[in-house]
Amino acid sequence: MNFVRLGLWLLRRERSSGEWRVLLLALIIGVGSVATTGFLGDRIKRAMSEQGANFLGADLLVSSPRPITHWPQHALATSRAIEFTSMVAQGDAFQLATLRAVDAAYPLRGSVRIAARPFEPGVARPALPPRGSIYVDGTLLPLLNAQVGDRVQIGEAPFTIAGVVAEEPGQLGGVFGLAPRVFLRADEVAATRVLQPGSRVSYLYQFAGEAKPLAVFGAALKPALDSTQRLIGSREGVETLRGAFVNADKYIQLTALVSLLLSVAAIAIAAHRHALRHYDQAALLRCFGATTAQLRTLYAVQLLTLGLLGSLLGIAIGAAMQQGLALMILPDAATRLPALGSAPVGVALVSGLLALAGASLPALLRLIRVSPLRVLRRELPPLPLAAWISVAVSGSALLALVAWVADDAKLVAVFVGALAGLAAVLVLLARLTLLGGQAVQKLSHGPLRFGLAQLLRHRFDSTVQLGAFTLALFLVALLALVRSDLVDSWRAQLPPDAPNYFLVNIAPQQQADVAAFLQQHRLQASALYPMVRGRLVSKNDAPIAATLPPEARDNATLRRELNLTWTATLPANNVILAGQWHGSQRSAIISVESGMAERLKLAVGDSLGFQVGDQMLSARIGSIRSVKWDSMQPNFFVIFAPGQLDALPASAIASVHVSANQAGVLPGFVKAFPGITVLALDKLIANIEAVFAQIIGAIQLLLGFLLAAGMAVVVATLLASLDARQQEAVLLRTLGAQRAWLAKSLWSEFIALGLLAGLLASVCAEIAMALIAHRLFELPPRPHPWLWLVLPTAGALLVGLSGWLTTRQITRVPPMQSIRALG
Amino acid sequence: MTPTDPAQFPIVAARALSQRVATADGPLVILSEVELAVKAGETLAITGASGSGKSTLLGLLAGLDQPSSGELFLLGQNLNALDEDARARLRAGRIGFVFQSFQLLPALTALENILLPLELAGRPDARERAAHWLDRVGITARAGHTPRQLSGGEQQRVAIARAFATDPEIVFADEPTGNLDADTGARIIDLLFELNASAHTTLILVTHDDALAARCQRRIHLVAGRMNEVAAA
Repeated sequence: MNFVRLGLWLLRRERSSGEWRVLLLALIIGVGSVATTGFLGDRIKRAMSEQGANFLGADLLVSSPRPITHWPQHALATSRAIEFTSMVAQGDAFQLATLRAVDAAYPLRGSVRIAARPFEPGVARPALPPRGSIYVDGTLLPLLNAQVGDRVQIGEAPFTIAGVVAEEPGQLGGVFGLAPRVFLRADEVAATRVLQPGSRVSYLYQFAGEAKPLAVFGAALKPALDSTQRLIGSREGVETLRGAFVNADKYIQLTALVSLLLSVAAIAIAAHRHALRHYDQAALLRCFGATTAQLRTLYAVQLLTLGLLGSLLGIAIGAAMQQGLALMILPDAATRLPALGSAPVGVALVSGLLALAGASLPALLRLIRVSPLRVLRRELPPLPLAAWISVAVSGSALLALVAWVADDAKLVAVFVGALAGLAAVLVLLARLTLLGGQAVQKLSHGPLRFGLAQLLRHRFDSTVQLGAFTLALFLVALLALVRSDLVDSWRAQLPPDAPNYFLVNIAPQQQADVAAFLQQHRLQASALYPMVRGRLVSKNDAPIAATLPPEARDNATLRRELNLTWTATLPANNVILAGQWHGSQRSAIISVESGMAERLKLAVGDSLGFQVGDQMLSARIGSIRSVKWDSMQPNFFVIFAPGQLDALPASAIASVHVSANQAGVLPGFVKAFPGITVLALDKLIANIEAVFAQIIGAIQLLLGFLLAAGMAVVVATLLASLDARQQEAVLLRTLGAQRAWLAKSLWSEFIALGLLAGLLASVCAEIAMALIAHRLFELPPRPHPWLWLVLPTAGALLVGLSGWLTTRQITRVPPMQSIRALG
Repeated sequence: MTPTDPAQFPIVAARALSQRVATADGPLVILSEVELAVKAGETLAITGASGSGKSTLLGLLAGLDQPSSGELFLLGQNLNALDEDARARLRAGRIGFVFQSFQLLPALTALENILLPLELAGRPDARERAAHWLDRVGITARAGHTPRQLSGGEQQRVAIARAFATDPEIVFADEPTGNLDADTGARIIDLLFELNASAHTTLILVTHDDALAARCQRRIHLVAGRMNEVAAA
């Protein structure tokens, strides 16, 4: 018989052994988690690449805050669109929407699909709706209680909803349902009267054609554009988004790798025990004439079979799970993503085999080299297997894997460092906790005392189990807290009369009417602040970037247009930190927010230049002030002295508090001022929360793998100590211990372990939450009493159950039979 | 490889065989200058007190270990010239073992345990032979049982069937009755000698059971690693 067949035969006969099962299970969990994220990431990346030029809807896109009238000579296909936000209303319902007013040529590349109902695939057709009609995103309909065919109001013009946008270029899905898409005709924008001087608008100019004329055109155009205008090639468009996604994807893959790491720990422990239990078998086979090479074949075949089986099952689970994940992250686009790719199968298979090989080869190499003499001299110890060899080998194998998957050495170094740090802290905490357990153990008696003694005696095992399970519980709890707690506690510390609506895009001629409306309905509102959008371009006549050290140049404040305002009264919640508030002086003086001043190294007396539209504006910094950003008032980085912005088109912004019994006023406001955008902060926050919940929910799904891997570690370590436990149990039974006594001692051991893991995880989660709350939201730490109840309970339940199921057999064996089995 | 006339040449031979191990207190002599020649078909008992070196000698004779000094011949081969893998190839199918602790694979049934060395030796009629030998040791009814479900005596019967199933030239037995009660042990001895007689196998066994030793044609006695040949009773 060849040893391939023999290996398979023996494997089949031993398939119900605990070690093989744990090994297989751990492998399935680890590979499943890697495959899930791998598959989904690959599908999204391919969706992006496949869209190519379709992504922009054109080969070249120019975006500008104002119309561009002069273009270089060209013979390219063109399309123009205007994009802006506005309210869409039906009856008393109203909703903010992103409107794109298009011409008949849109889109130049790719297609727009229009359906009769939401969630239908629709048919490809131009985005230009029939006269008097609009196409809307499916998410808009329930928000307006509307259906296709209904009449809705945009600004001062009525429109009929003629269809639902099922697909458009550049859209992967409506993660951000903040302002759903509406397509309308460019020649019907004027009728809405939404666009006023100072309104926030993007003029989108699209071009398509042969590569060469496109390049000539692009080169000629570029110098003509100012800092507020952008030129985007189809490749850059995709690459920008793709880059952002690839970065996010890396972190998600690393999360999956934590599960794989825990699985590897479980595999290493199970493989170690498997080897220990098979030294006799290997020695016997050597007696029967098997050579080292033949034994190597035998065990390699077994390992490879398990590796393939576990990896393939893991990949199958990953393929099923990734669709669930896709539906959570991209509810609209999940069905339109490309089919499962083959590349992640390879990655998952290699990581599975690598993890298995790294974790189990050291143990199996020892097995192959066993002396046949062991059959005669049972006391002959198997070659000692230092645990650290397994750990080191599988650790380096995984490090290679992490580096390969992440393709980012720095990230890997940080990741490994953080993980090692966390592991060290956990081990330290686990040790300390076990020391505490010693005190409790001394006070206890009976089976509880014995159970705790077991926990303390197998100190290495207990530390590993405690560490692994604490890690899993901690990460799960942390995400749950971040999801539910942070936004809540931030909201809770807002005063009850904090503004909850923003009124945006108030035209100058409307300001008096709006003020009167608010007063009439006794709505508590902030001042009306005129708003002009401009970009900071220079400091003391030098380009602003040149005045900064290289690492400070990539600053969000420099990349986007700022909202500029003027006022003579220092807004509430603003405090002057340096210089003097300009008051009603009418000269070129500004006040700058302190954070911005710090980031851009600005001081009182500096002169700043702004580009506003096609004009340049310059002013001296008269004061630096702090702003309370979470006050829900309109807040500004830069405030001019009165009169400085008068010549510029400005719309105004205000915040207002609308109490629950005043809410009926709002539909009246929207009807009276259809061009004004009403932003509901509650909705905004709820939207952000929903997006947050989607993404965190997806990560929590991955943490399910982590929790399962943590349990696999617990089971593997318990299996490793099963023989010794059995021996002890037999001894205790012969000494008169009842079966129930043994059961109680086992339960006390595992429940204690689970409780400790839950407590440790609670400590870690509280500390982490306090840090996050402080750093991100500047909130004081807040205890979470339920955490201290839920985590230990969950830990006791999960560890108790897996521990009991693994070890209960030792209470069942009658002492006589056990003694014989131990022979 | 096999000598032309097996009766003329020793099938197992040791010359000035010594085994020493290094300990903290200097080298410890386990076997000293053992001289031995066993002809094909002979039965030999190795007796001695615990720690006298019996099992060490058996392991060396079977090629499971390497001696510190001296020469060893097994099945006409000089074992000194062979490495562990070459010695394993020499054993395959030609040498059977019976152990004190039975050494059955726990995951395999009685029949499969007998099947194992047959499959290793690549016998085409492995299944039939295994069934035949199970019948010879009288536990056909237990074919599908795993070792845990068998009594000690039954386990040793399976082990004996496994040792003889490949038609080996030599069977080495290490305390084959050491883990059995007197009655069961006696029946196992009967079985062992009965099978040995009908298969004309060379049998070398280690025991401190005088009754068992008495049934062998030859008997050597080890005292502190030194050998005395005892005249046949």
